[in-house]
Amino acid sequence: MSAPLHNVIIGGGSAGYGAAMTLRARDAACRISMITMDSLPFYNRYDLPKVFRSSHDWRQLLAVPPAQYDVLDIRLRRASRVIDVNGADRVVTLAHQEIIPYDRLLVCTGGRSYLPENLNECAGLINHFGSFEAAMRTAQALPQRGRVIMIGGDMIGIDLALTLLDTGHHVTLIANEHTFWPHVVAPAQRQLLLAALAAKGMTVIDANRPVGVVAGKPGKPARCVTLEDGGEVSGDVVLSFCGIAPAVEFMLGAGIDIERGILVDPHLHTTDEAIWAAGDVCQIWNDKAKSYNFYHGWGNVRVMGELAARNMSGADEVFDVNVADRIDIDAQGNLRSTFWTH
Amino acid sequence: MAKDSFDPARKPASTDIQIAICGSAGDGTIATGDILKRAAALMGYHVIAFDIYPPEIRGFGKCISRIRLSSAQTYSLKQESDALVSLNDAHAIPHASEVRDFGAVIYEDSAVAHLPEGAHISGHIRAAQIPYGFNMRQISEQATNSARSRNIVALGYVAGLFGMPGDIFHEVIAGKFGKKAQSVTDDNLKAFDAGFRAGQATFKLDDVVVGTAAAGSSGADAVMMTGNGAVVRGLLEAGIQSYFGYPITPASSIMERLAADLPRHGGRFLQTEDEIAAAAATVGASYAGSRAATATSGPGLALMTEVIGLGVMAEVPMVIIVSQRGGPSTGLPTKTEQSDLNLCVYGGSGDAQRIVLAPTNVEGCYRCAGMAFQIAEKYQTPVIVLIDLYLSNRYETVIPAKDNKFAPKPRVVPQLAAGEAYRRYELTESGLSPRALPGDPGLMHTITGLEHSELGRPNGEIHPAMSARRHEKLLSAVNYPGLTTCKRFGDTGRVDVGILGWGSTFGEILEAMQAAQAEGVRCSAMKVVMLSPLPLEPITAFFDDCTTVLVPEVNYEGQLAHLVSGAIGRPVLRLNRVTGAPMVVAEILAEIRRLAGAATAGTTAAAKQGA
Amino acid sequence: MNERVEPVYLEEKLAEIRADGHQSYRSKSMPTWCPGCGYFSMADGLTIALNKLGIKSSDAVVISGIGCASRFPFFVSTYGFHTLHGRTLPIATGAKIANDKLTVIALGGDGDAFAIGGGHIPHAARRNVDITYMVFDNGIYGLTKGQTSPTSALGFKTATTPYANGDEPLHPLMMLLADRASWVGQAYAGRPHHLAEMMVKAIAHKGFSYLHILSPCVTFDKTDRTYANLGMAVRDLPADHDTGNLMAAMAEASRDDAPALGVYYEEMRPTLAEVMDATASRAASAG
Repeated sequence: MSAPLHNVIIGGGSAGYGAAMTLRARDAACRISMITMDSLPFYNRYDLPKVFRSSHDWRQLLAVPPAQYDVLDIRLRRASRVIDVNGADRVVTLAHQEIIPYDRLLVCTGGRSYLPENLNECAGLINHFGSFEAAMRTAQALPQRGRVIMIGGDMIGIDLALTLLDTGHHVTLIANEHTFWPHVVAPAQRQLLLAALAAKGMTVIDANRPVGVVAGKPGKPARCVTLEDGGEVSGDVVLSFCGIAPAVEFMLGAGIDIERGILVDPHLHTTDEAIWAAGDVCQIWNDKAKSYNFYHGWGNVRVMGELAARNMSGADEVFDVNVADRIDIDAQGNLRSTFWTH
Repeated sequence: MAKDSFDPARKPASTDIQIAICGSAGDGTIATGDILKRAAALMGYHVIAFDIYPPEIRGFGKCISRIRLSSAQTYSLKQESDALVSLNDAHAIPHASEVRDFGAVIYEDSAVAHLPEGAHISGHIRAAQIPYGFNMRQISEQATNSARSRNIVALGYVAGLFGMPGDIFHEVIAGKFGKKAQSVTDDNLKAFDAGFRAGQATFKLDDVVVGTAAAGSSGADAVMMTGNGAVVRGLLEAGIQSYFGYPITPASSIMERLAADLPRHGGRFLQTEDEIAAAAATVGASYAGSRAATATSGPGLALMTEVIGLGVMAEVPMVIIVSQRGGPSTGLPTKTEQSDLNLCVYGGSGDAQRIVLAPTNVEGCYRCAGMAFQIAEKYQTPVIVLIDLYLSNRYETVIPAKDNKFAPKPRVVPQLAAGEAYRRYELTESGLSPRALPGDPGLMHTITGLEHSELGRPNGEIHPAMSARRHEKLLSAVNYPGLTTCKRFGDTGRVDVGILGWGSTFGEILEAMQAAQAEGVRCSAMKVVMLSPLPLEPITAFFDDCTTVLVPEVNYEGQLAHLVSGAIGRPVLRLNRVTGAPMVVAEILAEIRRLAGAATAGTTAAAKQGA
Repeated sequence: MNERVEPVYLEEKLAEIRADGHQSYRSKSMPTWCPGCGYFSMADGLTIALNKLGIKSSDAVVISGIGCASRFPFFVSTYGFHTLHGRTLPIATGAKIANDKLTVIALGGDGDAFAIGGGHIPHAARRNVDITYMVFDNGIYGLTKGQTSPTSALGFKTATTPYANGDEPLHPLMMLLADRASWVGQAYAGRPHHLAEMMVKAIAHKGFSYLHILSPCVTFDKTDRTYANLGMAVRDLPADHDTGNLMAAMAEASRDDAPALGVYYEEMRPTLAEVMDATASRAASAG
């Protein structure tokens, strides 16, 4: 009797989780391993702002109870980083030197939060929000009615900012070209959107780049952002939401085509017959536009993961690359975005 | 303290956590566990700890050190640990599943060479457990220029992660390595601190909380002891004067400690040529007035039974410590069992009843050993203190007795009227008559293993009277002051399920009983410490109160069940396991539930019938 | 040849015996040995020896095993412990360790000593515990009515060797010499005065003393070890025998055919008590 097929999924976000569940539903016998750098079982990142509503028990955030992974026989390898993928030998190497052979590989590692180069030196003073731990550290650093300075303000950031306002904090948005990423917004609409945010209570600074972040003096707020015009903004926490860059370094030796992201056909298949990619990490061929494009958004990412999984297990489906990508303001002055649909 | 993912302000009123450390023999696994348990004791917690060693003398076999620290007294190790530290994944991987949901698995997250799939513990951690991988080796090298202190780095990490006070660990480390070069202590302190910082900086996702220690406890009073160490301490405090022994697992360490300690206390120690000689020298020394003891395990006891019979017949006190291991015959020398009850209570030819005490925890080992000499001397007969491998090797925090509680009682020298002959075996009401010792002027007599008259001379017709004397003199022992011979726990009055137990298994029984009570079952547990003579009154009263009585034992034949059931003529239910490991709390609990259900069903049925 | 006894006058002899006081070491119990048994000489010898050495009854302990020797302690007025078959030596060791001031005498027959008890002899001897071990060797199990023993001669016929004993007998004296006993001597029940003298020396020796006492079993061995045969076989050790020379003692001890009487070997070395006291000092200073 031959060994069961080993499906390996790199990435523990929406796409990876959706893929794992789909694979198990379609194939009861195969082996499924999920590799993630996170320490927790899957939870939706877009739920993280809940930490500001006093939801400190991560168990409430989980998509399914941990026991489900045992029931479904999905091997969840957490706190594990992939450092190499060898497409010829079909093995994945982890940072702790464990070699994992695969029959089918799905890469959905998403992306890393992008930080403008001129702020790289100050990275230590800028908080993150990409994981439960990072979210909690931010929440613990923020006093009641605290002040948040947000650089950029992509759609993930805007969502968080709205929650921060709603929970009694003050938000200063230093807008730049990444504001409203991944939406491509015309200048006129941009002004309307910024005005809508200001109307919600955000302080909006535009056309004034941040050039540095320093720690505040004793007795003063913890952080101070200096602007290119010499001005300063102080607050308790600085966050950067300037879009994400695909995490693909470990794939460079795999022998597949990579541009900024992993290039896939509309079946989400890479140039290696045993490797698929889904989510923020991949660029999908758009035959109309004759280019490989990213398709961000919480709903898209999940759909891609599930579709890739179906294709890995024998289906022949195609991702609809013609999805609309829209942001607008509704009658109540709230922002609505297809990014946030899930 | 590491940032808590739950309410950081929460400091629960009580603590009950168990940490397991698993590695190979070369990793310093046991040493790490040793520091942790001593630190926990100093912090004021009750501690129970048990180490498992590899069977090979040399090599890299598996070691596991488990430490349970709690604010309330507990009686056994838990089936599940709250945290596991892996110092060697190959050994630790099978134990990853013993960590409970939302507990922590701590491990090395780098390797020096490629590993095949499945060789790293990170792939064996359940979704509900929290993985904490960190670079133990690198931190050790940075702190001490060597990877050898990985285990201390890991210990520091645990302390930092769980918010334990680092200074107490410093104290224990300095004490442990005090006799070595200062650089050794310094390196270990550096390694600990480096790990501590790493643990503190880690975001805490598990819910293992080290809360307050026991109310009003002072860590300084408690002493960490194994059962064997407790026995030795009890014997020394009781004024042991001579010890004779022969090496046998798991009693050897009693002998080895006394080899070192007894001469320092002015006593005399001899390793004999076999167990027969050990028992014989003990009875000979005791005959001549020395407070003498020996210790052995089942196979050695089997050899000693003839000498014990002589002690019973000639009414010479002696103390024998027996630590049980798997049997029969050579059996399982490194596994625990409770299968020598029969041998202790009955072993030897004829009606040779003697006194048998079976403590249930390490403190009990200390007390029973401490009281053994005075009981043996009062009743002029062998006293067996019966423990097992689990107790022998288990560490617990014990508060030593104050006021010389075990100090020897002054001797009663027989007084003769003029012209009267000394009657060593005078038939008195209590069955006890004072003993003359060689050297006492004017009281010369011969004692013998033959049946004998009051004067000690061979005599057959007096056998019924002397048999009665030898048995009836023991009966008052069940009420010996200062000794708990049996005790009831749990619900008072009528209960659905009673659990009767002895020895170390009583720890698991108590935990199961408490869990059942929490589920609403009316139940009660009784420990029998004096196995011979049996405290019949309280045991009978217990049976009167219980609808059913369950006797869980780590032996196949149900030796206590048989003893008690036969003595009081009541039926019992048995639960027997001989896995070489302590009984599983969950199995006892399942049986209690089943019996409680049956009892309720019976009551309901009876009510239906009766009404 | 049996010792020549000069004619004596009964009243004189009785008066002499009563006067010297050794009778006080006899108890009121009548011995149960067969008339003519060598144990009578042994009992007498012991009382004479204790008396001569001035050892108080209350300071002496006689420890017996199982056999015709069993009842021995009942016939003397010291403290006594009638113990188990083959275990007198460890019991005696324990008693001496408990109280150095006691004079501890262990005694038994050839079965008690060399069959079941054989394993304990080397250890008592090498430890040099300061006791006296007297073994009454009649080459037979008497109490159980006549079975072959480890010192029975080749060819000896008893109920358990009806077709003649095929096992070579042991060399007890050679064994004890090899076991590092610090005093080894042999006597003969048919020479009671010499036996008493040997007992004095054995008890007086500071260390483990082994006294081997040849005797007949008048009831169950009427052919091999009789007074007649033994009387002819025994001799004295040569006058120039060097009791400090182990190999010379060994050579004498190997002479089964002509058992020699006397002190074979003696040496002085630390007793068990002295070793234990030294240990205690070392422990105290190490502590």
